[in-house]
This record gives sequence, C-alpha cells and structure tokens, in this order.
Amino acid sequence: MNEPMLKVSDLTHRVSLETDTLTILQGVSLEINRGESVAIVGRSGSGKTTLLGLLAGLDTPTEGTVELDGAVISKLSEDERARLRAQRVGFVFQSFQLLPALTALENVMLPLELGGHEAPEKKARELLERVGLGERLTHTPRQLSGGEQQRVAIARAFASDPVVLFADEPTGNLDNRTGQAVSDLLMALNHEQGTTLVMVTHDEHLAVRCGRQFSIEAGVLTEPDTRTDEEPVI
Amino acid sequence: MVASRKLMSIRRDWRERDVRVVLAALMIAVATVATIALFASQLQRTLVSSASSFLAADRQLEAENGRPIPDAWLAEAQNRQLETGQMVEFSTMVFGADTFQLVSIKAVSNEYPLRGQVEYQLGPDEPRQLVSSGPGPGEVWINPRLLRLLDTSVGDTLEVGNLELEISGLLVREPDGGFRLSALAPRVMMHADDVPDTGVIQEGSRVEYVYLFAGEEAALEGYYRWLQPQLEPSHEWEGVRDGETFSRSLERAERFLLLGGSLAVMLAAVAVAVASRQYALSQRDTVALLKTLGVSSQGIGRLYLQRLGLWGLAGAVGGLVIALPLYWLLSRLLSDVLERPVDYQLDPAALAPSLLTALVSLFAFAYPPIRRLRNVPAMRVLRSQPGESGREALPDLIVALVAIFGLVWMYAGEVSLVLALLGGLILLLGTLALLGWLMVLGLRRISGGGNAWRLALVGLYRHRRASLSQIAVFAMTLMLAATLILVRTSLLADWQAQLPENTPNHFLINIAPDVVKDVDAFWQDRGQPLDQLYPMVRGRFTELNGEPVKEAVSKDERVGALNRELNLTWMESLPADNEIVEGEWFSPGETRGVSVEAELAEKLGLKVGDELTFTIGSEKVTEAVTSIRTVQWDSMKPNFYMAFPPGGGLEEMPATWITSFYLSPGNKNALNEFSRQYPTISVLEIDHIIERIQDIVRQVTQAIEAILALILAAALVVMAAVVSATLRDRQREGALLRTLGGRQSLLVRSTMLEFALLGLFAGVLGVTAAEAAVWTLQFRMFEGEFQWHWAIVLPIPLLSAVVLALFGRWQLRPVLNVSPMLLLRRLE
Repeated sequence: MNEPMLKVSDLTHRVSLETDTLTILQGVSLEINRGESVAIVGRSGSGKTTLLGLLAGLDTPTEGTVELDGAVISKLSEDERARLRAQRVGFVFQSFQLLPALTALENVMLPLELGGHEAPEKKARELLERVGLGERLTHTPRQLSGGEQQRVAIARAFASDPVVLFADEPTGNLDNRTGQAVSDLLMALNHEQGTTLVMVTHDEHLAVRCGRQFSIEAGVLTEPDTRTDEEPVI
Repeated sequence: MVASRKLMSIRRDWRERDVRVVLAALMIAVATVATIALFASQLQRTLVSSASSFLAADRQLEAENGRPIPDAWLAEAQNRQLETGQMVEFSTMVFGADTFQLVSIKAVSNEYPLRGQVEYQLGPDEPRQLVSSGPGPGEVWINPRLLRLLDTSVGDTLEVGNLELEISGLLVREPDGGFRLSALAPRVMMHADDVPDTGVIQEGSRVEYVYLFAGEEAALEGYYRWLQPQLEPSHEWEGVRDGETFSRSLERAERFLLLGGSLAVMLAAVAVAVASRQYALSQRDTVALLKTLGVSSQGIGRLYLQRLGLWGLAGAVGGLVIALPLYWLLSRLLSDVLERPVDYQLDPAALAPSLLTALVSLFAFAYPPIRRLRNVPAMRVLRSQPGESGREALPDLIVALVAIFGLVWMYAGEVSLVLALLGGLILLLGTLALLGWLMVLGLRRISGGGNAWRLALVGLYRHRRASLSQIAVFAMTLMLAATLILVRTSLLADWQAQLPENTPNHFLINIAPDVVKDVDAFWQDRGQPLDQLYPMVRGRFTELNGEPVKEAVSKDERVGALNRELNLTWMESLPADNEIVEGEWFSPGETRGVSVEAELAEKLGLKVGDELTFTIGSEKVTEAVTSIRTVQWDSMKPNFYMAFPPGGGLEEMPATWITSFYLSPGNKNALNEFSRQYPTISVLEIDHIIERIQDIVRQVTQAIEAILALILAAALVVMAAVVSATLRDRQREGALLRTLGGRQSLLVRSTMLEFALLGLFAGVLGVTAAEAAVWTLQFRMFEGEFQWHWAIVLPIPLLSAVVLALFGRWQLRPVLNVSPMLLLRRLE
C-alpha cells in the first residue's frame, strides 16, 4: 500500500502575462500512495485546479517533476501523456464536461472506445446502472439534471478502470443534497475499485471524507497534520 | 433600454461570427443579383441594338416588287417621330479601266445606316475606319475584290450605267451585310441620289427598295399596326427578333447568367438560414437575461426586428457597393467585344430585384429562427432549458423553400428552371432521408475499437443529426455549383460545336444547273471542298388544303414566310443536323410529299397530311406534308423551310443551286479567279461575321467565368456558415477527447476521416441531384442532349471529401496545440 502513485517534487508553475509573469504554484512537493484518497483544499484562485491539471498531465510545469505511476510526466510527449491518461487516469469536472450531442451511454463509451475496449457498450451500460441511471441511457445531457449529469461523468471517469482519479470540485455546481449524493457515489466507487483519488475542493465537508487533506494558498501547498491510518469515512 | 440597445448595436453584432456570415451572405446575394440583373438588362439592350445593326435599323420594310413605297408611308413614319432611311438594291454591269463585271449595287440615302456602322478603308493597305454614313454623291465604295477583278484602284472612276463615279474607298463591312442570301456579290455601294442619273433602273428591272426605320419601340409597333393593313404580299416587314446566330448566342448567355444568379441566390439564402439559426441559438442566454430584467416578449421581438432591418440595410448597401464596380467591369468587357461604347446605365428595374432579394432572404431565411427568440423562457437564466427539437424548424423550411423558388421564378422567369431545381432538391432530400435511415441502421452496429476508421464511423453515427444536416447543406451547395459547372460546360461545348473550326464561311448562290459539277471541281482542286449542294426554287406558299393560305392560317401576321417567296429545295437524305419530329423522311424512290421546318409548321399550324400548294412563277405544285423537321438555323449552312423529294414536281421548275463551304484565309484570292470564271455566281462572304460571333462567345465566356467566381464565393460562405455552426461543439469534443487520453494523431485521423466520409456522401448526392437538374434543364433551356458528365461526377465527390477533410483538420487546429486544461477552461 505504501508505494507512491504520485510523486511531485519542487513543482513551480508560472504563466507569462503581457507585462509580467505570474507564479501560480511555488515549490510544491508531495507524495500520494496507491489507493489513498487526498483532498486539496483552497480558495478560488489559490492554484488548486492548476495543480490538479499538472498532476494529471493535462499541462506541463515550468519547473519540477511529476511522476505518475512510475512515469515522469514532464518527460513524456503529448501523445505519450495522452496514452497514459487513456489507460490510467479518470477525471470528474466541476462543470461535468459531457458532450451535449451524445447520449449518456455514448458519453460513457467515449473513453472506452479511445482505449480500444472490446465491448464498450456493455461496460458503459453496467456503469450507468451502477450509478443509478440505467433508465436514462439514451438521454442527452440537456435532458438530465445537474446531479444526473455528474453521475454520468463519474461513470465515464471509472469506465477505463483508472488507477488514479482526479476530481475538480465535483460537487461545486450542485446543491447540498445532490452534492452529498454525488460525493457518496464517488467515494463508494473509489473504494470499490481501489482507485487513488485526488480531489480539489473548497468544501471542507467533502475534504474530510478523504484520507489526507492538503491546503493550498497563493500557490504554496501545506499538509496540516491530519493523516490517519484509519479507513476514510465513506 | 439604453443598455439593451447598446447590447444590440450593429458594431457589437459585427464581432459575432454568425452575424458576419449572415451579412456576407446577404451582400453576396445582393451583389450577384444586382450585377447579373444589370448586366443582363444591358445584354438585352445590346442584343436588340446589335441585332438592329444587322438591319442597319430597328425595322426594315422591303419592297420586292420593284416599286418604291408610297411617300405617304414615309411621311407617316416621320410623323410618328421615327427616323427613316432608304436603300435601293439591284444588280448591274459596271465598267472599270478596261473590263466589266456584274456587281450588286446598294445605293443608300444620307441617313444610312440608322443603326450600326459601315467599315471602310481608303486603300488596300490603309487602316479600317468606322463611319455612320455611306459614300457621298458622286462616289462609290467597292468590295476590295473588285479592285483586282476590274484591274482598277482607289481614285479611279467606275462607270455605272450612264454615270461615272469616283472610287473613294473600299467597303469592308456593311452593318446589314448579314446573312441575306439575296445580296449579290461583289458589292458596290453608292449614294441613292445618283441612281436616277445612271439610267440603270428601267420599268421591269429587278430592283429591291428597302426602307429603314428606327425609333422608340412603341412608336415602331404603332407604325406597324398602321402600316400592316396596307402591305402587299411583296412587302416584307423585318424586325430584330428573327433569331440570328448572334442574338441566339447572347440569349443563351443571358439565360446562363440568370441561372447562375438564381443559384447564387439559393446558396446565399442557405448561408443566411444556417448562420441566422446559429445566431439565434447563441442569443438565447442574452434574451433570457433581458427578460429577467423586465423586457417583454414584444420588446424582444421589436429589438431583433430592428437589428434585422439594420442588417438588411447593411447587406443591401454592401452588396451594391460590390456590384457596381463589377457591373462596370463586365460592361467594359462587353464594349470591348462590340468595339463600341456601351452605356453604363443603372437600370432601376434591374436594381429592384436585388433589393427584393435582400428583403426576402432576411425575412424568409433569417427571421423565423430569430422570431422564436421571443419564446425563450426567462427561467433559462437559472436553469438550462431543453433546446429546440428541430420540429419547429419544419415550417421554416417550407417558408424557405417557397421563398427560394419564388425568388428564382421572379428572377429567371422560367418555370422549367424552378421545377428542375425543385426536382433536384426533392431528389436530394429524399435520398438524404433514406441515407440517414441506412446510416442509423448500419453505423449503430459499429462500436468499440480505438482505430481511426471505427472512431470516424462512430463519430458519424454519434453526430447523426448534425452530420445529416451538414451533408444536406454541403450536398445542396455542391449540387448548385455542379449544376452551374455542367451547364457552363455544355453551353460552351454547344457554342463550339455550333461554330467549329471549319464552319462554312462562304456561300455560293445562284449556281446554274449546268455548271454545278464544274464549280464543285473548281473548289475540290483547290483543297476547299464544298459542302452539300442544294437546288433552290423560289416559290410562294399560297394554298393550304385548297384554301388561300392567308385565310386558312390564323391571323398571326408576323409569319414572314407567307409574305415573301420561300426557297424551296429537293434533297434525297435528311441533313445531319436536321431532325424529324413528326412523320417520316422520304423513303428511297419516293417522289411525292414535302417536309416542313418545325417552327414554321407550328406557327402556321401545319400537320402531317396537310396539302400545301406553292406558286412558282405561273405554275402550281401541291404536295402533302409527310414530315416535320427541326433545322439548325445557326449552322452556317443552307437551310430550307420546305424540302421536297428528288424527282418530284419541283425538279421541272427553273432552279439555281446553293452551297456553303469553308475557305481558309490564305485561299481568299481564289475567290477572284472564281468570280472571273463564274461571273454570275454570287459569293456571300460571312467570315467577318463568324469571327465576330466567335469573339463574342469568347468574351461572354469570360463574363460567365466572372459570375461563376461570385457563385463559388457564395458556396464558400455556405461552407463557412456550416462549419462555424458546429465549430464550438467540435472543439469542445476535441479537447475532451484529448483529456480522456485520445492521441493527437488518432484525433486528427478520425476527424479527417469523418469529414472525408461526410464530404464523399455530400459529393455523391450533390452530383446526382445536379445531373437530375441538368437532365431537365438541358431539354428545356439549352436544347442539348443528356449524358452523364463523368468529368464532374467522379472528381466532385473526391474533391469534396478532400476539402472537407482539410476543413476538419483546420477546425481541430486550436484543439491540438493548446494544453487540454486551458482548452476546457476556455470552452466552459
């Protein structure tokens, strides 16, 4: 259980603006073990979503390295990073990011087809049934409520059997009750699949359901002493 | 309201891609219609005036009876503000230095020509000049060939009867030299006032008096109505609408331009419809917000109506700004062809359709989706509402179809054109529905697998609704473009076929029966073989089924054939370019019957079996109609209204023979030798006319290409409209696919494949529909025969596949080079 899934050392990220350079992340280092669930908490603009993107290989850092499941992301080409994402990474976004033209079923099938899965429809169906949307397979995102859309997104995230799941404010666009239900589902699936979960949120209640919490402020990451060896609350 | 008005400002609009597409499409529609309508109206005027110059007037009155018309007739014409002029034509012997020659004299009054110009030169090596008069009294201008025939030169005198006249110029071209077979070569032109002094014209001489009239169309018509009851059978009133080759070419060009214009309007309308629908979708949030802030549905309706009005104004003004210089260019081109200035006239009647086009395009195509914005619920601000199902768009489609065909009808004035295009479109949409069904059926089975092919097919299925509507629009665009290219190609081929390289450019007329063989041999020896030789008997059509023809036939007085002697012939086999439309051609050995030209038969209401009686001299010949045949009047070969079988009653009548042949410019001198050897045979030189027609065809072709360019611009705008309609969705999808681990190369390949397939489908459909439309058009408008156009059927689908694949690649561009994270944020 103790081998690191994600190893980040001295990560710094800057973006150039017209007049000067903005440092978004400053010397971030952390290690996350396989199967752990981690919350990164911070206010808007603290750099948490940027950090998540860098951890997931959606972007490359200005300085420092990210090692995901043994692969140094910054050394990979764009296509190699894509392959890594396709095989080992799942995503859940605040704004769901479902394709409006596709049905729920087709949205979940998407990563399966990209990964060359043999029976994408069967698997997508099972997943949608698992998240309680077995009756809504042919509905498009527009015909689904926010909570339902996020459940489709969760089903999609688990479709490719990822080893690590990145969630960006997964309940940010939902009301309390729906958010609660969605996070329950996310945690349960995560537990079932033994996935490593990295979640960015500003919601303290959600954060405490993860095994570890980091907080980020002005691009600097700190880990309050909250590490427990107990099972996370589901 | 100030803020909301600001929100609605046209400057803000311009920043929206969809609005730019709507405006560009409107401008192209207006520009095309305006350019073509202006140019077509000018072509029309030119056509009339060019054809007029073939008569040297707007109308001619020929008196074949050898007597001048009463002075009162001319006085009446002058009373009616018509210009008049006079010519006297006759044949006589003239004397040069020490030899004589039979010539055809044309004596003209001071006013000649009322239309067109005379081309002459002061000596064989002097430059040609265009003048608006004939030679003055005491002078003659002669055909250059006469110089050698008479062994004389400019400045010498020429004896015409009792009068000695000075040769002051060489006659190169007379505006009314046209196709008149009665003209006897070679020509000498003199002044009409000198004619009495020559003493050549005696009682009973064969003389033709020709009177020229020009003026307002209404005055001419009025004059003819006054004159008509007094005309005798030997009087012939000739107008400009008598289908000369030249005007036929221009008429076809005009039709083509109208067709092109209609297609451009249809394309632009499609672009307006697609872009405004997209615009309406993008405005839904704004409308919901405005409603939340308290603007009523009516208020929303008004706001959008106002901006539509603004667009219309901008489109119309912009379109005209494009159209005017284009029209100027085209009319310059035309004036180059005609070698004379053409008036750059902004005909308001031609501008009206373009403004109407803008109005109709806006209200039939742009307004319906925008009107529905009133119904957007304010609740949308809080919660995304279900969008349009597409069912609401059905009435739009019907309104659009009706409007589009109304426009084309108004514009080209051809029901057959409207029907052909409608048929093509219905075929297209029907096939599309079938294809859609097959696609859903077939593609649903494909799933899984990470290779580009399968992803592309899955993509097509996934976006089936968008794919089908894109295929529909692309196919429609390709259909219209292909129709135009096909029609253009066949039009040009038609023209070239009409006047091929070795088109006969000389006629030999009045060949006596006993020299026919010698004449044939003469030209055979010089490597310029004659075409078919035809006997020609002059006769008048006098009785139909035993009744005098003028009573038997309906009162359509315009049938000139009844007023003059017709050229009758006999022939064994049907000329290659004639076609039997009714009855049968004479069987071998048959000596009875007559074959009638189809247009004349239609005008006179003649049917197979009717008994026709012809008066030839004092004899009468009666034959039953055995066939009706079409004739290529513009073939530059002898053509006949009436053809008899060999061995019939006609053969006993006094006949002369006629033929046409191609004489290469280098052999022109052989004509002198020929004329000396056969002085009684008339040579009609039409090489100038043929050159001129070929020139015109070339230049009108250029005008057509210019219009084609405008239309392709319209097609590109349609493409842009359609691509911009799905751009955001596609980019979002690309970004997400990359986030989910799609490799760039896979993304590129599958997208390109998906678009290539789309392009291929659209291409096949579009070309098929175009062939269907052309099939209909070909018969009705351009009188050609249908065949598959492989040169277009094969490349267009392939080309469209390639172009769309590149389009697909191009729209992926922003997705490929940016980090997926940035993209998702940007697209949120």
